[in-house]
Amino acid sequence: MPCSRYRESAHELVDGTIGPIRRAELESHMDGCLDCRSLVRDLETIRAAAASLDPMEPPARVWLQVAGRLRQEGRVRALPGSSPAHARSARHGALLAIAAVLMMAVGASIAMLVSRLATSNATSPDATSPATIATTAPGGNAAPGATVQDVETEFRLAEQHYQNAIAKLEQAAGLDQAASAGQASGDQAMLDPQTAAMLQKNLQVIDQAINESRSALRAEPQSAAARDSLFDALKRKVALLQDSIALMNEMRKGDASGAAQIIQGASKS
Amino acid sequence: MTGAPNLVGGPTGRAADLALVARCRAGELGAFEELYRAHAGKLFSVACRILGNVSDAEDVLQEVFLSAHRKLDGFRGESALATWLYRLATNQCLDYLRSRAARTGELTETLDEEPGLYEPGRTGLADQTVAKMDLERALTQLPAGCRAAFVLHDVQGLEHREVAEALGIAEGTSKSQVHKARLRLRTLLGSRRR
Repeated sequence: MPCSRYRESAHELVDGTIGPIRRAELESHMDGCLDCRSLVRDLETIRAAAASLDPMEPPARVWLQVAGRLRQEGRVRALPGSSPAHARSARHGALLAIAAVLMMAVGASIAMLVSRLATSNATSPDATSPATIATTAPGGNAAPGATVQDVETEFRLAEQHYQNAIAKLEQAAGLDQAASAGQASGDQAMLDPQTAAMLQKNLQVIDQAINESRSALRAEPQSAAARDSLFDALKRKVALLQDSIALMNEMRKGDASGAAQIIQGASKS
Repeated sequence: MTGAPNLVGGPTGRAADLALVARCRAGELGAFEELYRAHAGKLFSVACRILGNVSDAEDVLQEVFLSAHRKLDGFRGESALATWLYRLATNQCLDYLRSRAARTGELTETLDEEPGLYEPGRTGLADQTVAKMDLERALTQLPAGCRAAFVLHDVQGLEHREVAEALGIAEGTSKSQVHKARLRLRTLLGSRRR
């Protein structure tokens, strides 16, 4: 009997769904067939490896964005209630919605700007034309077709979007007041001192990276590395601020596991 | 024994699904967050493995839940909520892959006619264990349909009936897709070791 006759049985054996008669036939065949024994062993190995793959958890920002969009579209409502705690929760919810919507708007603008920069790069036919000069777009690709002025304008616009996003997120998270007053704001007070200190320290590190990238860019305006570095630092700051807001939300809800997950992510920023 | 979870959940599970969906339909954000927390992890795992990268999976997961909220009126409880969500997620992932392929000019592939797929003995794993990272990498090389069926059945532990429902295919097709995926993975993982 050819081995192909037992192929489906081999899978069923591995899945534990084979009937007794087919099982006996397969086992009898495998007694004399090294290839089919090897196949069953390999299928078991693959099945076990697949079942052992780790589950993956989405970052907190996904829920923030979903909730923000639902609020924006008017598809959800807050629960009725008028206690101070509820009022605070509703205010916080509004901040989260603003932060989430802001993130999407900024993401879309940045993607559009970067895409335009990439397009100007891709469509340029002649890098040596007198009207053009070799410049470099964010992302590290040379943009020989774009004029220096075009690229500079797009770059400044993208940077400004990030700055606006950061300013509004800082306001939503209450970090601006906390930073200027040297203490935690009302919402930040939900965080334990160690976590608040960790977030502030990470922000300082990112701010330092932003300042250093800006200095490098001033010294060498056409440097792709400096531009990439600045964009990367700005992106990290936006992500950290978003994580801070998500963390305050989890703390407000008393979700320790959600908070721990965010802290773990934020500590790697 | 497969160890597969039964997503149907019985009458109690179905009633709980319907009650939660009713609260979501009424616009209760807390109820929808409850639904999200219960299912987002599994759907994200599926999306990451079908799409092959985390960033695309985040975008798709967001769209899946927004789409789920819009379509809640259409959920009648005929299937488990988890199966219904798996169906939304896999459809969204496969659409995403099709659109990515169209944009980048990637060729879509099937395993129907692959020569040597059924030749025994030539592609064995030589009694070695399979590293998770190797398996994750090999998964990205499977055709999308096979990959989705394999991820739902062998990774997530759904039964073929549930995989069929989630992918909108016949139960026999689900078995065939999973079997082909395993044989291709055997070839890919075997050749990696040579």
